[in-house]
Amino acid sequence: MPYLGSEDAVRELRRALSNPNVQSDQLRYRNTVLKAIRAMSQGVDVSDLFSEMVKACATVDIVQKKLVYVFLCSYATLNPELSLLVINTLRKDCQDPNPMVRSLALRNMTNLRLPSLVEYVEQPLAAGLRDRAACVRRVAVLGWAKLHNLQPDAEIDAAVVNELYGLLRDPDPVVMVNCLRALEEILKKEGGVAINKPITHHLLNRLKESDVWGQCEVLRILQRYHPQSEDELFDILSLLDASLVSPHPPVMAATLGLFLGLCSGLPAVSLAALERVRGPLLAACGSTSRETRFTALCHIQLLLRSLPGLMGAHYKRFFCGYAEPAYIKQRKMQVLVELVNDENVAMLLDELKGYCTDVNPETAQAAISAIGRIGRSYSDRCLEILTGLLGLKQEHITSAVVQTMCDLVWVCPQCSDTVCSALEGCEEMLQDSQGRQALLWLLAAYGERVSSAPYTLEGFIDRVRSEASLGVKMELLTTTMRLFLCRPSETQDMLGRLLHYCIEEEMDMCVRDQALLYYRLLHCGIEETHKVLHGQRSDPSLGVLIGRPAEPINQWAYSFNTLEPLRQAGFHQVGWGASVHSHFQISPEMFNRVQVRALAGPLKDIHRVVPKPLLCYLGCVLRFVQSALEHVFIQDVSVHCCIHLSLNPD
Amino acid sequence: MIHSLFLVNASGDIFLEKHWKSVVSRSVCDYFFEAQERATEPENVPPVIPTPHHYLISVLRHRIYFVAVIQSEVPPLFVIEFLHRVVDTFQDYFGVCTEAAIKDNVVVVYELLEEMLDNGFPLATESNILKELIKPPTILRTMVNTITGSTNVGEQLPTGQLSVVPWRRTGVKYTNNEAYFDVVEEIDAIIDKSGSTITAEIQGVIDACVKLTGMPDLTLSFMNPRLLDDVSFHPCVRFKRWEAERILSFIPPDGNFRLLSYHVSSQNLVAIPVYVKHNISFREGSSQGRFDLTLGPKQTMGKAVEAVLVSSQLPRGVLNANLNASQGTYTFDPVTKMLTWDVGKINPQKLPSLKGTMSLQAGASKPDENPTINIQFKTQQMAISGLKVNRLDMYGEKYKPFKGIKYMTKAGKFQVRT
Repeated sequence: MPYLGSEDAVRELRRALSNPNVQSDQLRYRNTVLKAIRAMSQGVDVSDLFSEMVKACATVDIVQKKLVYVFLCSYATLNPELSLLVINTLRKDCQDPNPMVRSLALRNMTNLRLPSLVEYVEQPLAAGLRDRAACVRRVAVLGWAKLHNLQPDAEIDAAVVNELYGLLRDPDPVVMVNCLRALEEILKKEGGVAINKPITHHLLNRLKESDVWGQCEVLRILQRYHPQSEDELFDILSLLDASLVSPHPPVMAATLGLFLGLCSGLPAVSLAALERVRGPLLAACGSTSRETRFTALCHIQLLLRSLPGLMGAHYKRFFCGYAEPAYIKQRKMQVLVELVNDENVAMLLDELKGYCTDVNPETAQAAISAIGRIGRSYSDRCLEILTGLLGLKQEHITSAVVQTMCDLVWVCPQCSDTVCSALEGCEEMLQDSQGRQALLWLLAAYGERVSSAPYTLEGFIDRVRSEASLGVKMELLTTTMRLFLCRPSETQDMLGRLLHYCIEEEMDMCVRDQALLYYRLLHCGIEETHKVLHGQRSDPSLGVLIGRPAEPINQWAYSFNTLEPLRQAGFHQVGWGASVHSHFQISPEMFNRVQVRALAGPLKDIHRVVPKPLLCYLGCVLRFVQSALEHVFIQDVSVHCCIHLSLNPD
Repeated sequence: MIHSLFLVNASGDIFLEKHWKSVVSRSVCDYFFEAQERATEPENVPPVIPTPHHYLISVLRHRIYFVAVIQSEVPPLFVIEFLHRVVDTFQDYFGVCTEAAIKDNVVVVYELLEEMLDNGFPLATESNILKELIKPPTILRTMVNTITGSTNVGEQLPTGQLSVVPWRRTGVKYTNNEAYFDVVEEIDAIIDKSGSTITAEIQGVIDACVKLTGMPDLTLSFMNPRLLDDVSFHPCVRFKRWEAERILSFIPPDGNFRLLSYHVSSQNLVAIPVYVKHNISFREGSSQGRFDLTLGPKQTMGKAVEAVLVSSQLPRGVLNANLNASQGTYTFDPVTKMLTWDVGKINPQKLPSLKGTMSLQAGASKPDENPTINIQFKTQQMAISGLKVNRLDMYGEKYKPFKGIKYMTKAGKFQVRT
């Protein structure tokens, strides 16, 4: 970070540090060192002061020592030769009668992170393992791990490893946990610390003695242990039962993780454990820390995948407060969608309706799409809300509503009448490309029922020259074609104009290709065109699309209490990562993300559907789909259209 | 586990960094700044940000982001809880945890961070032990230190680490032996238009200040312990006795500590201490809106409701508010559209009200959302959940201590929809 006058400041500091008058006055000396540290914390490069600081290290003043150590540890890597001078002082301090000084020296010796110093550090570290004071042993144990990190390829000293295993039985619980941590790092290549039956039982028996952090560590490492008999398993489980309802969320999560790991063969026990953590998890959702609330919500989403009814009675706990951050609100809505049932649907929808006018557009859109999801089971009520929202005449709301309707109609064709009548007059409010694409798709699907459809299209075609979004252009072509088939007299002229523009003037390959394809198709006669464009639709009421069956716990147990569930995810990712590996479930959202809304058509005769989707993406999708589900439905498919992959897909 | 820690302020400057393993370049925070820029509000920055080589896990407290850099897979709750512990410790040491306080005490901050984490693993996080390792800066001590040149580092090894009761040091001596307990409850509620409760829950804590000589063994019993749902104890509490007899039995740490925190959820009926009568309306086509708000006490067991502060974010279209407060003062910020009304104490005989008109942008359509009203208040000498301490007994020592208890109820996230 550039810092005004930093060179002057460093020069000044150097002068002060080497001034004998300052050095003789302990207080002034320390204050000067303090100034150097301050400058360092502000991002000034004070590495030039290294040699002066090394001298300042030889002092009896503990505070000054600590300060110098902070400095040395930050800059040692830049000055390996000079750091050698420090080692002597540090080694002397390791003999100090005060255990605090000993542990401080030992810790900083290992924090210098210089491979050249390793030979000088090993001896004091070995002595540190046998020190009387627990605080020195704690530092020494971790010191070995740091040493190993410095030279990851060096041979592992079996004697040290043995000694560390021995120290697992140290009376101090922190030494015990630190041993686990150190062994875990040193033996990383061999798969971490070896966990056998005696060690497991020892660790479990002493679990209560260690602090929260230590408990988490032990529980995490024990996941690797496989009990030899069912009796042993149940003994372990009953020991763990108290930590399962621990008031500390990290301990509770770590225990549940271990529970699920141990009980992978006993689904009933796992389910009981989930029931048991419901209380603590809900409490974590009401925690004062937003970050904890968020993490708890993400994990509840995981649990709901196996036990959809787990939180049914507590749905009110997931109502959003006014001042909550957007990321919590969006997660809460995702949970609410899962909790909907006949009794609470009215209340839930009322609540979600309130969120639709949120100041944050993303939250508002999340609320609208949540309503759309509920609409698959309760379409009438939801459509009423959605059409009501159109009346607000807000750009981002209208766009989200149209996109949601588009998704909804695909699953529930019975909604189409309401949707068609709602569409009139929306096009002025739609500004973003996704919203307009969705509108065009709806017009293509239900053009014959929307009286103003040709006029809307005409507006689009008049502005096509200034249209920036590739997606909208592609969608526009297909929509115009399909509308032409059902209302030829009104659209013939504009179709001609559009095709002419796309073939003669358009610069983008994808649009041109598509336009040429349609042009040639029209040459083949109207019958042929009709056959291609109005291929049969797949049956959208496939059960899998609406109700997801409860997944077995093992599908997500591995990701419990990791960062996995916290990743940015919309609805589409819920239940998606796992399902690729098992029986594949097609969810319409999956295609939304890759912008192929209408690939929803019948995939078994893909060559007949000129996919209303965007061909430019089709290539990617096919490749993607093929890799995942070759054996599911892309068998014997030959695609009869030439695909130019887009050169610049957006 | 935790590789590095960066402290970032609201304007996106790193003002402190600490590395426990190798030094991670500051540029890793660019991903965080990107997210910070994208977020409209400071609290909207997502707590976990993946970057190509690291994860950034952050918590926001006191307008400072504490950003931990993680290199491998970790339990997220662990890191979040630890970061909160760091903030709590700073607050404990410096009274406030602001950028200025951290910069002023940068040395103590580095010392603390060094003690709290070694090689990325938590080491000493118990505030009592830390305070013996590194004495907190007080004005008096700073002065004495400057004059005598002595230090704020404990010369002795913390005794607590060697004793059988790790949270209490041995050989404590006081001339006045006293034990004070504060029961503080915060009520979080959402009230709907018609005044009925949508959700309500109580977060309670019992904070203790115990200054007793020797090794006292205390038992605290409640009149109605069944009220408490999710209880979280200080490690000193013997959990077995709580489970069996619903009695808190413990050897207390010396000084201030949080004995327990609990949670009373909507399963039990939660009493709401204030009610709001409101009429906020906008008419189509008119550039005026009506604003009418009256507050009153309810279910307060006869205790006064004090320090009432009402705030509300009015819709964007509102230009100004011309109101009349029967009590207290109100302010309206035309830029943020935030209306605040400092009411003070509610007098049940003469209910405070705020009435008047709001002027809207001419020609603008009627705002579609109605503002939410946030209320803060305080009630002394009452725990809204009805929790009552029955008695406190001391064993193990001969003297007679002075015992005191105080109850207080505060509003947490208390909001009324209109």
